[in-house]
Order: sequence, then structure tokens, then C-alpha cells
Amino acid sequence: MIYADNAATTNISDSVLEKMLPFLKEQYGNASSQYSLGVKAKRAVEQARRQVAVALGAEPSEIVFTSGGSESNSWVLSSIGNVHVITSLIEHHSVLNACRALERKGAVVTYLPVDSTGRVSLDGVKKAIRYDTKLVSIMLANNEIGTIQPIAEIGKYLRECRILFHTDAVQAVGHIPVNVEELNVDFLTASSHKFNGAKGTGILYKRKGILLPPLVFGGEQERGERAGTENVAGIVAAGYAIMESVADMFEMADKLSAFVQTTINGIRDRIPNIIVNGDENNRLPGIINIVFDGISGESLMHLLDLKKICVSTSSACLSGKGQPSHVLMALGLTERQAQSAIRISYGRYNNVDEVKTIVENICNAYGKILAAK
Amino acid sequence: MRQIKRVNCFACGKKQLSKDEIGLNKKMIGQDIKQFYCIACFAEYFDVAIEELLAKIKDFKEQGCELF
Repeated sequence: MIYADNAATTNISDSVLEKMLPFLKEQYGNASSQYSLGVKAKRAVEQARRQVAVALGAEPSEIVFTSGGSESNSWVLSSIGNVHVITSLIEHHSVLNACRALERKGAVVTYLPVDSTGRVSLDGVKKAIRYDTKLVSIMLANNEIGTIQPIAEIGKYLRECRILFHTDAVQAVGHIPVNVEELNVDFLTASSHKFNGAKGTGILYKRKGILLPPLVFGGEQERGERAGTENVAGIVAAGYAIMESVADMFEMADKLSAFVQTTINGIRDRIPNIIVNGDENNRLPGIINIVFDGISGESLMHLLDLKKICVSTSSACLSGKGQPSHVLMALGLTERQAQSAIRISYGRYNNVDEVKTIVENICNAYGKILAAK
Repeated sequence: MRQIKRVNCFACGKKQLSKDEIGLNKKMIGQDIKQFYCIACFAEYFDVAIEELLAKIKDFKEQGCELF
């Protein structure tokens, strides 16, 4: 099998798995317990917190572990009262649906448009600010097209305005440099399984001094900020995975960027009319989103699946008529174009032979689908 | 496989393709197709095993796809 859907999830690193496994068996203590088994679990959680903090340029006390990126996003958004919130049209559904919930409670949300490459502009943010704007939430990098937003620039302005700033960095952490101080953010979301950690562990960076009412009620875990028995094994995995990702980040970025370029060039040689979505200069290294004129992205994805190649399309289809991606529609694509797109996302375990196989199979499948129609 | 009348295989002429065969063509080639393959010709054309296509049809049904 060739797995090229690393923006959806990643294969856990062998060494990370090795580090987490003892906490599922021999070291299975509850981190809140007072005896040594529990103390060791607590110690492992705190070590992971330090590892994550170092990777993000934060203080350990500013890191809270959650169940995933969606919980972290929901927590920040749901903590805002009946005020004004600014976000973008291309956010992940965990942000957009949290905003819809806020609207139902009486809050007002402004959804900023993006340009044809998927970038939000600082000017757009400035114009959207109102007297009662309390929070701005803009993702650091988009999950479908990989476009990286000018977060540091927006954050600098918002700090001057004393408006809270959250960024969903789920796709970015572990793949590009992420430093909370340089980004000028108050909240940042990350998710371990996106950088070769385990599923079920999210991260919320919360700037020191900012209080968030709890989303989950219960015990005093996570210094009373997030109740629920800690997922010790997952948290340990998050700590080691982020350290591993940061250690060879630039080397990996070069490798993945080269894979993306090989893919674009290889496909374009045989299918010249493809459209590559996103921002060529400000894009995550491993993500590529391509429109194939005249065919459905879903068809192509399923045919590649039959060849044991995993890529994705953002339109979920249960009725035979998939909804086009809200991200691609926001770029200005037609519904037909949006439904003709697939996303390939390379990761640390892909190699150049796999890239060539993907290109070959995409071109073959495209030709066969067109000929069959 | 349930039977639907009047849709024949474009390649071999097999008559009365099943709803699953028609659904497979629509799902894997496109909603707007005018000609359909039976499952055997589909497998040959795309160079995959019939068993894999049957497994795919099962997956689509489990996912609730209304084409099947």
C-alpha cells in the first residue's frame, strides 16, 4: 500500500510507539494517583508537556493536553460569550461548527473570505474588527490546500488591539517552524496524530494569564483546566513525536517539497490542464491539491484505492452527489472544479518510487475514466 | 444483485446490468456517464480483480451510498 493522505493522519513512528507502549501495560498508572505507579505516570506527562513546550516556544504551564484538535478548537471558541468573533471561510469544521453554535447562542461571527490562493489578508481582518470583537481564529495552514496564513502579522496587529487570537495549527505543527511568541498568538491548537504521534491526543497552547472556563467538568487534571483521566500513553507519544518532527523538520520539508514538485511536473507532462490549488510560495511542504478537469475527484480516489494508493477528496459522497469542499469553493472554483479535485499529502515515510507510482497511476486512471465516459 | 431493465454492458453486451453494476460505474467513472460496463468488463478495463470490486461495493453500501 502507498499511503499519501498524511494530512488526514500519519503512521505512528516506531520509536514513538516504543516509548508509549509501556504506559499501556507495565506503567498503566493513573497520573492522579499518589503511589509510585501514578507518580511515574504523572512524571511522564510532565516530561511530555516540557517537550511540547520547547517545540512550540512556550512555557510548560501554557500547554494543556486534550483529546484532539477538535476539542482544543471547540474549547477556545465555546468559551467566548455573546460577542463578535472573526474567523475565515476555510477553517476546519471544528472551528466553523463551533462558530455556528456561538451564533445560535447570540454571538456574531464574521467569516473572512480568502484570495484565490487561500490567503486571508491583514486588511480583511482590520476591516472586520468591531468594538465588541473578542476573538479572532485563523488557521495557520489549511488542511486541504496547505496554504500558510500570515499569522504573525495578524497576531501583531491584534495584540495592539488587545483582541484574543487563536490559530488552529493542527496541520502545521511538526511540519513547519511554529513558535507561539513569533506568531503572536494567545491560543494554538495541535494534534499529535498529524505528526506521527498517536490518535486521541490534542494540544492547546494557552498564553499565561488567560483564563478559559472548562469545557469538560470533573477532576483536577491538567491543573484543574481540563478534567478527565490523562491519556498518558498518547501524551507521552505526543512529546516524543513532536521532538522527532522538529529534529529533522527542514530535511523533511525539502524532501516533501521535492515530492510535490515531482508530482506536479509528472502529472502536468501528461495532463497539461490540471489546476494546482493553493499558494505556491506559502504552502505546507507535503500537501498538494489538484483539479482534474472532466472527471470526479471521488472516482479518481476510488480507482487509486483499487491500486492500493490512498489519497483523499474533500467531498464526502453518500448519495452519489458529493458536496463540494467549502475550502475550494472559497478559492473561487466552480462546483464542478471543486468536485474534480484530489489531495495528495506526503509524509515522512513516503519515498520517491512511491511518488512515481502515484503519478503513473493517476495519469492512467484519468485517461481511462475520460475514455470510459 | 437486484436487476434493473434496459441497461446493457457497453463492452460485451451483457443484458440487464444490476443496480450494483450501474452504481459502480456511476461511482467510479462519473454520474454523467452514458455507457456502462458489467462488473467483469469493468474489472478488465481498469485492470483490477472482480473480488476487489465486490469488496468496494460492500464498502459503499456500508457507507450508506444510495447508488447501491
